[in-house]
Amino acid sequence: MDWLTDPLQFDFFVRALAAVVLVSVLCALVGAWVVLRGLSYIGDAMSHAVLPGLVGALLTGGNLIVGAIVAAVLTALGIGAVGQRSGLKQDSAIGIVFVGMFALGVVLLSKAPTFATDLSTFLIGNPLGVTAADLWSALGVTALAALVLGAFHKELLLASFDPTEARAIGLPVGRLNHLLLVIIGLVVVLTVQLVGTTLSVSLLVTSSAAARLLARSLKKMMLLAAGLGILGGVVGLYLSYFFDTAAGATIVLVNTTVFVLALLLRRRE
Amino acid sequence: MLGVDNLTVRYGTHTALEGVTVRFGAGQFSAVIGPNGAGKSTLLKVLAGLLPDPGGHVRFDPGHTPRQCVSYVPQQQTLDWAFPVTVWDVAMMGRTGRLGWLRWPGGKDRQKVAAALEETGVYDLRHRHIGALSGGQRQRVLLARMLAREGHLLLLDEPLTGVDPATQEGLMALLRRQADLGRAVVMVTHDLDQARRWCDRLVLVNRRVIADGTPEEVYTPQNIEATFSVSHLGHTHAEA
Repeated sequence: MDWLTDPLQFDFFVRALAAVVLVSVLCALVGAWVVLRGLSYIGDAMSHAVLPGLVGALLTGGNLIVGAIVAAVLTALGIGAVGQRSGLKQDSAIGIVFVGMFALGVVLLSKAPTFATDLSTFLIGNPLGVTAADLWSALGVTALAALVLGAFHKELLLASFDPTEARAIGLPVGRLNHLLLVIIGLVVVLTVQLVGTTLSVSLLVTSSAAARLLARSLKKMMLLAAGLGILGGVVGLYLSYFFDTAAGATIVLVNTTVFVLALLLRRRE
Repeated sequence: MLGVDNLTVRYGTHTALEGVTVRFGAGQFSAVIGPNGAGKSTLLKVLAGLLPDPGGHVRFDPGHTPRQCVSYVPQQQTLDWAFPVTVWDVAMMGRTGRLGWLRWPGGKDRQKVAAALEETGVYDLRHRHIGALSGGQRQRVLLARMLAREGHLLLLDEPLTGVDPATQEGLMALLRRQADLGRAVVMVTHDLDQARRWCDRLVLVNRRVIADGTPEEVYTPQNIEATFSVSHLGHTHAEA
């Protein structure tokens, strides 16, 4: 059993395990909505769209996280507004807003005196570099997301499954959509900073999509996505420790394998 | 009572409905009949409050608003049947409007949902994923959701489409029962035969109301021709 306990003597490994577990739960909560509403592109897009917020924070000497959150909220609201007013599909709205935001970041960056290295670690992230403070903020965002999504669960469910019925009973379908996008934006900012873009997209999309193949209800889908995310995270971290490979990418590969297994195993009713 | 007075709806330059006046009363099972593009679904959506009514043409019993009393059943093909929800979950969605914000379903809601599923004959399927059901069973689940909502004005858009003939009979009997219980039931359909057999009122629509009355009064060769091929203005509308 030494192989199981050996890595645990390293604080960075324990913190990485805790981060992966927390982020898996968080991503499962929002990932279900991401997959069901065809927003799979949003994780990648949002991680780029926060650039102007980060650069703005650097230029003004502000807090990077606050800058990223402001940019994420603006991006979310922008995607919602473009989708609603133009009648275009969400993927087009995401594409339009995210490249615009990213380009704004690049233009702002050319005004920055030097390219700051802390910006690149913020954008790329690494589960092995997680600090205790990161874990507390992850716990806070997980609790907040769970609270908001739990409070509006039945409304979000109806607005996603049958928007016509939702409008017929007077639900503000557009505002619910905005709320969901903002929550997804916040979650992406946090998880990207914590575990990197690739792993956060994998947890948002791959784990939730695998869970969708196997689950009959939304609650089961979320539970299963969290379980699969945790499983992939723990197995991936151990594999990366023993084979000395990049932690985030190894976890992503495990998640991808889990998805393929789910695809092969799913029952067709 | 539910109805519209002199309703005209235009989409850009296309006129979907023109000068439509119609009333649907409690205890009545009415069918709105017409060819594709005749404005049937538009009429239903205006009644359900899904399309704006800037001219104030919709009429309700005093003291009621559409959101309180209308239950709307959309066309089956507008829904994503791969969505991860069970039969029970879909029926429970009917309680969302009754419950209001930040409230979770309680014992009373579960009772109503169970009763609605019993009434529509799909209670035994309640744990199944909706994607695993047949077209007829899906329609029964949508009707259960409608019943769980407890509206007294029931609006259904093409409830017979994609449903096998045996199940159609069951659905029509169920809707007939709802009307006999005192609810106003309005169904959009192009199935004239079923409508004639089960409804006590037919409204033939092709942009305008062509005829309105009991099946005996309305079902004449002239009215059918005017509705399905040539309008009273002499233009063909079958392709519209």
